Amino acid sequence: MTEFNFELTETEKDRYSRQMRFNAIGTSGQTHLKNARILLCGCGALGTVLANTLVRAGVGFIRLVDRDFVEVSNLQRQVLFDEDDAMQGVPKSVAGAKKLGQINSLVSVEPVVAHIDRGNILELAKDVHLILDGTDNFEIRYLINDAAIKLGIPWVYGGCIGSHGQFMTILPGDTPCLRCVFEAAPGPGEAGTCDTAGVLGMTINIIASYQATEALKILSGNSDAISRDLVYLDCWENTFRKIKIAKLKGKVDCPCCTHNRFEWLEGEQGAQTTSLCGRNAVQIAHAKPIRLDFEFLSKNLFHLGNVSFTRFLLRFSAEGCDFTVFPDGRAIIKGTDEPDRAMALYARYIGH
Amino acid sequence: MSVRVHIPTPLRPNAGGQAIVEVDANTVGESLARLVEIHPAMGGKLFENGNLRRFVNIYVNDEDIRYLENLETQTKKDDEIAIIPAVAGG
Repeated sequence: MTEFNFELTETEKDRYSRQMRFNAIGTSGQTHLKNARILLCGCGALGTVLANTLVRAGVGFIRLVDRDFVEVSNLQRQVLFDEDDAMQGVPKSVAGAKKLGQINSLVSVEPVVAHIDRGNILELAKDVHLILDGTDNFEIRYLINDAAIKLGIPWVYGGCIGSHGQFMTILPGDTPCLRCVFEAAPGPGEAGTCDTAGVLGMTINIIASYQATEALKILSGNSDAISRDLVYLDCWENTFRKIKIAKLKGKVDCPCCTHNRFEWLEGEQGAQTTSLCGRNAVQIAHAKPIRLDFEFLSKNLFHLGNVSFTRFLLRFSAEGCDFTVFPDGRAIIKGTDEPDRAMALYARYIGH
Repeated sequence: MSVRVHIPTPLRPNAGGQAIVEVDANTVGESLARLVEIHPAMGGKLFENGNLRRFVNIYVNDEDIRYLENLETQTKKDDEIAIIPAVAGG
């Protein structure tokens, strides 16, 4: 990767003066930020807060990747978008980049409209200093983890549901990785998603702000100040736990960071999509079959008002698509022939 | 010895809506067994074929039981056991 070493201009020194007066940043930290490049995966709830905060902080380059379009139901928590964006159905990364350009024209934002998968993540991540997680599912997070460990790039995980959320910072070779801490994610339908269990905008702002602070530390040359815990908080119940995970490094037999087996990058884990030609439908199947709890899933989807299930399949409709889901996690989503959209809908309603 | 088991929000419907369940036990394994006795619906959420499910993480006083003694980890009076799930949304 080409490393840049641009000095701060007088305009920048004035613009970032309050941040530079913060002792740990100073001229040196701000200069590091100016020359820093990050990959932000997801420009939704966490992603817009991360992008907003870090563009204002003067991070030099942000590659902003998202597969989705702005909708009215995003506006409660996705801080870069407005009603016009929703009405026009603008791609999130494009709408985000436009707003970010108005906020700070001195930094560079590269919008990418794409579904992040094992085919493109190494290319997206190869020239950055840090990866930030603004995604909404573990499928992509394990993929980010694989790519980050393989390339030796730090990354910051964040997740939110309802009023609770968690974050952790991964420095390859130093801290435990995501798979050391969460050996497996709850299977689809095992835990709520923001679309089934809801989420408060405040939870998002808090978790993304912590993630952005971790990013600021790493990018400004203050990696020694990172959180080495898994932080779990609930802003409704006013609880805050610092889970001590540092000692897991080397203690758990991690396929990813101990054995360098990148199962998501290699396609041994995760879901694959197949467009069912002429049927306007996409099938999603897991590389390793899972087991769905239909009773639990149907309770999560109760608000849709059209869920029914037998021992063999579960059916419901949402956003103009008909879902048929099987106990091993396979699903046929009718009403779209776009694999990316089908994956997004799967993550939204069934989860992972 | 009485320990407090913290139930995460997504699992509370399986624990009578409670955030904290107090149980008498000397190890983490015993604590979770008591919890399942009181709230049988928790059983399938925490265990599979007698083992902890792979995405269920258990912490005693915020220490991960995987670098302690797993389910054999001793507990003492007023210890706090937390079940922390991976949070997917965002």
